[in-house]
Amino acid sequence: MAKTPFDIELDEMTLARARRGNVDACETIFRKFQQPAFSVAYRLCHCRETAQEVSQEAFITAFRKIRQFRGDSPFWGWLRRVVVNHAISHLRKGPKMDPVELQDYHGKAEATSEQVGMAMDLESALAALEPEDRAIVWLHDVEGYNHKEIAGLFGKTESFSKTRLSRTRARLKKLLEAGPSLQCAHEALAR
Amino acid sequence: MNFSKVHIMQKERDPLNLSSLPLAAPPADNWPEIKRALLRQSRRQRFLRLAGGSLAAAAAVTLAIGLFVQQPLPQPAEVRPAPDSLITLSQQLESSIRSYREEVGGMPTDSLIYQVEIEDLIAQVDEELSVSPDSTQLWSQRVNLLLDLSQLYENQLRRDYDRMASL
Repeated sequence: MAKTPFDIELDEMTLARARRGNVDACETIFRKFQQPAFSVAYRLCHCRETAQEVSQEAFITAFRKIRQFRGDSPFWGWLRRVVVNHAISHLRKGPKMDPVELQDYHGKAEATSEQVGMAMDLESALAALEPEDRAIVWLHDVEGYNHKEIAGLFGKTESFSKTRLSRTRARLKKLLEAGPSLQCAHEALAR
Repeated sequence: MNFSKVHIMQKERDPLNLSSLPLAAPPADNWPEIKRALLRQSRRQRFLRLAGGSLAAAAAVTLAIGLFVQQPLPQPAEVRPAPDSLITLSQQLESSIRSYREEVGGMPTDSLIYQVEIEDLIAQVDEELSVSPDSTQLWSQRVNLLLDLSQLYENQLRRDYDRMASL
């Protein structure tokens, strides 16, 4: 199973210092996890401004509550939960959406134009989904959440998560097969 | 586990290969804002500790004087609400806080820290209540904290409303 980008090791010493309220240790943690935190918030909210707000709030909450982290599971999992909870709560308040942009692909010398094209199709298809559906498919397929965890996040049943996941995957597949023109039409309809 | 098995499992888990998308890059470094919030919070905690210490010292002096004089002042009859009414009030406040939460937009950092602090204190009181569920004092504390939290949301809703009205 591919690792989630959050899966970053944190040394015990930094964690212990952060638990004692050491701001430098908090900065080390922030620097390590800033990008995956922003990225997951962006994938769930699909708006850079909201994702920036969500990740900032999540880090403040995490540092404030870091003593509650019991250490019986990896730190990244705990931090990711805090970020995801904040993102879902923002999603409930009414999502804002950015148009699909190429900016995350700039300067990626290793990516061929075909790979960039495929990724952009995927981005556009994701953008055409309902916010809740997008969050479910991302949490399950990329972050490795199981149906029970997803159901808990949305306050629904496991079968809700299963049904929505399979429906969303089918929709994504259809959007990808239809190509960019249909996706543009979906985006235009959504606006 | 060999590579092909891992590959098949990955394909099942992520059939559309969403994990191939790159990490989104944050538009700006928000550490300075987070650091400011953390420092403000630690200043507030220091202040509360100092204030708590001073209050404890003042209480000790008052007690010592009281014991020395040994002439207690007549106490007004204490009016303590029953735990039942406090529990009901606590439930009502929780329900209104839940609906505020759904309405309110993003909180500014200051309010967010305050909110987390109050929630922490409520969690502490809840822990104590699990040991002494009939303590009137603990239920009063809980109600007061919920009132603070509710006030915080009301202020934020007022700010949201003002902002909308000014558009």
